[in-house]
Amino acid sequence: MSNTTENANNYIGKSPIRVDAYDKATGKGLFASDYFKLIPDLLRVKVLRSPVAHCKITKLDVSKAEAIPGVERIFTVDRSPFHMERLPEQVRFPIDGECIWAGQPIAIIAADTLEHAEDALEAIDLEYEELPHVLNVYEALDPNPKSVVDPNHGRSGTIDESNPWAKIGRLDVVDSKFAGEGVSPNIIGNYVLDKGNVEEAMKKADIVVEGEFCTGRRKHTHLELSSAIVTYNSDDSITCYGNGCGIHGVIKSAFVNIFELPENKIRTIQPYIGGSFGDRLAPYIEVLTAMMALFLKKSCGYQYTRAETFEGAPFAWPVYSRVKFGATKDGRVIAQDYDCVEEIGAIQNNVSYTGRLSSSGAVCVYDIDNIHMDTAAVATNCMPVGAFRGLGCPESEFGMEVMMNKLADDLGISPVEIRAKNFIKNGGHNGYGELVTSIGVEKCLRACADAIDLETPPEQDGSVWKRGKGCGVGGKQNTPLGRAEAIVRYYSDSSVEVLISCDENGMGAMTVMAQIAASVLELPIENVKVIKGDSIVTPFDNYSASSRTTYTTGNAVKIAAEEVKDKLQEAAAREVGVHKSKVIIHGSKAKILGSDIQEIDLATLFKNTSPYDQGNWGLMRFSPVEGHGVFCPAPIRKWGHDGLTKRMWNWFQYAASAMEVAVNEETGQVRILKIATSADTGNPINPKTVEGQIEGGSILAASYMLMEEPIFNEHGAIINKGLSDYRIADVLMTPKNDNFISLINPDPLPDGPFGAKGMAESITIPIAPSLSEAIYQAVGVRPMYFPMTSERILKLIQEKKAKEAENK
Amino acid sequence: MIMKFEKYFRPESLQEAIDLMKEYKGEYKLLAGGTDVVIRLKAHALRVKTIIDISRVPELSGVRIEDGKLYVGANTRLMDLSKNPDVVNSEWEILAECAGHVSSTQVRNVATLAGNNVNASPSADTTPALLMCDAVVHIAGPDGKRDVAVDDFLLGPGKVDLKDGEIVVGFTFPKQKENSQAAYIKFAIRGDTDIAIVNAGARIGLGADGKVSDARLVLGAVAPRSIRMKEVEDFLIGKKATEAIIEEAAAMARDSITPITDQRATAEYRKQMAYVNLRNAMTEALKKLA
Repeated sequence: MSNTTENANNYIGKSPIRVDAYDKATGKGLFASDYFKLIPDLLRVKVLRSPVAHCKITKLDVSKAEAIPGVERIFTVDRSPFHMERLPEQVRFPIDGECIWAGQPIAIIAADTLEHAEDALEAIDLEYEELPHVLNVYEALDPNPKSVVDPNHGRSGTIDESNPWAKIGRLDVVDSKFAGEGVSPNIIGNYVLDKGNVEEAMKKADIVVEGEFCTGRRKHTHLELSSAIVTYNSDDSITCYGNGCGIHGVIKSAFVNIFELPENKIRTIQPYIGGSFGDRLAPYIEVLTAMMALFLKKSCGYQYTRAETFEGAPFAWPVYSRVKFGATKDGRVIAQDYDCVEEIGAIQNNVSYTGRLSSSGAVCVYDIDNIHMDTAAVATNCMPVGAFRGLGCPESEFGMEVMMNKLADDLGISPVEIRAKNFIKNGGHNGYGELVTSIGVEKCLRACADAIDLETPPEQDGSVWKRGKGCGVGGKQNTPLGRAEAIVRYYSDSSVEVLISCDENGMGAMTVMAQIAASVLELPIENVKVIKGDSIVTPFDNYSASSRTTYTTGNAVKIAAEEVKDKLQEAAAREVGVHKSKVIIHGSKAKILGSDIQEIDLATLFKNTSPYDQGNWGLMRFSPVEGHGVFCPAPIRKWGHDGLTKRMWNWFQYAASAMEVAVNEETGQVRILKIATSADTGNPINPKTVEGQIEGGSILAASYMLMEEPIFNEHGAIINKGLSDYRIADVLMTPKNDNFISLINPDPLPDGPFGAKGMAESITIPIAPSLSEAIYQAVGVRPMYFPMTSERILKLIQEKKAKEAENK
Repeated sequence: MIMKFEKYFRPESLQEAIDLMKEYKGEYKLLAGGTDVVIRLKAHALRVKTIIDISRVPELSGVRIEDGKLYVGANTRLMDLSKNPDVVNSEWEILAECAGHVSSTQVRNVATLAGNNVNASPSADTTPALLMCDAVVHIAGPDGKRDVAVDDFLLGPGKVDLKDGEIVVGFTFPKQKENSQAAYIKFAIRGDTDIAIVNAGARIGLGADGKVSDARLVLGAVAPRSIRMKEVEDFLIGKKATEAIIEEAAAMARDSITPITDQRATAEYRKQMAYVNLRNAMTEALKKLA
């Protein structure tokens, strides 16, 4: 690539104004909810949901509700023209009258207005007999649990064969404490990793540290409510406008698979959307809306209420882990014994759970010779879980990092140096046996430690607010999630169109793609227009998850732009009469070697459309030169019963943080005084958007570590399904300006576009362990579970004081 | 969800409002700022046939000082109250301070003083100010006007001494004792936008001998309504307010309350926080006096 000093239009590593900035700042850009006002004759959809965690429906009478004027139809399993068992797990209706989570859909209404739909919702006559439920992992793991939750309920226990992800990682026989005779029937999958000999290594260790950890249930809490509008068109096709992710890979493919529609009868459009942090990676609202539109042959729209985002959409899965490290006295970890259980709620959602996803965080940071991991997934009568920023790694690594801090404290070694001793190095291998080609975690950690002067103890002011400092790191795999394609078009006037279908959740993906195209074509970024998110216009892209967009879609855009350049080279070479290798494209001009013609304007290669100039070959105005880029990560390799493989994931992103906090020893309140967080992004394409991700990710993680917690009533239903009592951090909790430090410390990824990789998930990982350690340094108690509310921290402090008094 | 009601009125005078309340007896709800009523209507937690919007009733507005007393009209916006120069830097400053702790700027811009109090939430921010200042509530109804002391006005969660057909017109804050100061602390997980786990208010007056001559101690969110800690007040009066006495008083208050456990905190934590925050409020009031 001509990424040389000659390229005046190299935007890599720069932060031009976002291409969507004006649209979003002025309100001209349309979001999904705007379409409710734009589409005529829209029926409004509402869903009746189970009010309890586990019940048998004894009466479900919708006749009164359906008689309300304006109510079009109400579907239940018994009165639907569609076989509702074909609906995906996350929107499964109770097939034989048994509801397995509070919030499970029971009846779905379409009415002419929202008001009539709500009237109908209240008029449905529902009676049920409550059954015992299990809500937490410990209850669910009981060999004779109060409730047996079958995530394949209503499907005769079969795996959804149409979902290729559903089978990944399932092994019939694993040597696991969570498998075999006598374990709870709620365990639905296992993963085991065995490397070296942990038992022997533990014996040789000078020091062993061990702890048990739990990360709570957390909601994505994106502010934009999930919405879908599905129009029914005169040719029996449907068009979906929604803010779900993956117009091709998620939504369109779900419509094709579920409703058995021809691929050309579906158009999915994603307008501007806000963040969703994984919540909208599985189609739920789109599928329900499309079902109503298809079977009523009318356009339908459905927008979740805030409460529905808590009961009808996934939560992040809690992880219960036990971490045991054996180390030498100079701080080298030689053995890791690690168990974890991921709690998946009542159904499988869109992936197969075995503990493998969560535990992927526990083997990608440190180079440890002997590792034993035993993991499981367990079902409960909670709302189903789904991917959330980090896919279980912030949860699984929390215990790892807290134990690393404890090891440092116990051995009297700096928390930075002990980690530096144990980090995987570039060119080394991780716990699975995968080759690591980009790992900037040590640079990240050292930068953060320096930024807050980690090694110098904080000054105490003698008040009830005690100060402490702490650090942590994190690594997150990139799941190879299939193909991304891009089309780049170059017009005669050197204006460019980039057509992509990745999701723009606000992270700046559109700008990054414009930067990549402009840099390859050596054109001002103002020449590039990004067109995104219309399945009949923009090419296939699976969906934006696992921080894959810059890498996967970015590579596709780069390949497409390079193809354009190649075609322009060829056209210029033919015009002048030299081989194309003697043509160098710089923006709108071609430099020619070995001819009397030294330079031509590319515009002159494009013929006019007049009758005198027309022809069947060559370039023509208004008909752009088009490049098509296809990029897909390499296939993964099946792993054996030892869980080892040379390729389970793709690349890894890394992050570190260090912070100073103040803890009120009388109230348990925690204040973050100063925080530094650093990302290993590979080469950052747009540092400003990376900083945005660092800040957002840091606060998001601090928020769930300190405050976020759904609370259940005795029926197993969430009572705080709103943002007043399910609290997320606000701007007043955020350290200001100089006390909030974002750092970028890249280790370029060889296969990334311009050496870039994704970063937005790993940034959340180091926050919780940093907080835990800083709290420990301040008041001497080490929080080991989320959320660490003021009340719980105070309790730990009081328990410690009571113990100290006892020992005196 | 969508608000549902059949009729909406916006009376232009107090008499018109009273006539409407009489006509729609038992099926109306008054609407002023709407920060509670609209939300409850939308959630269908409140179902009424008739909404009487009193936001344009002129008799309900106005803040003025008369005969050394502060009068605040029922419809006074909390934002205006928190910045009113007659209130800020006056002997009733605590009222402005408490009003400034109610939720967010957006809410304070529309919410009213009467609304915050007739709602009778045990965690209301302005109620402690009314209690600390011995405010009087002025009520109008079909049978004329009557006044009630705020301590008698509050009955329980969501319940006040207001009969069907009656309306709060305003509040009078009497002259406060010489050499007395008040402080208020809202203790919540997420600051002012949150609902308090505990709130604590203390007004302390000192006599010429330096001993406590007057005390009004209030705790919120620890009982069905904001409550005065009268026994603790009696304990303080006549004593020198040393650190030890203040701590003892706060401990007395803690031991006298029986809060509930809810989604914000356990009863035990509430008791501990009542101690810490009441102690801090008393200390702050004394600091202001020094």
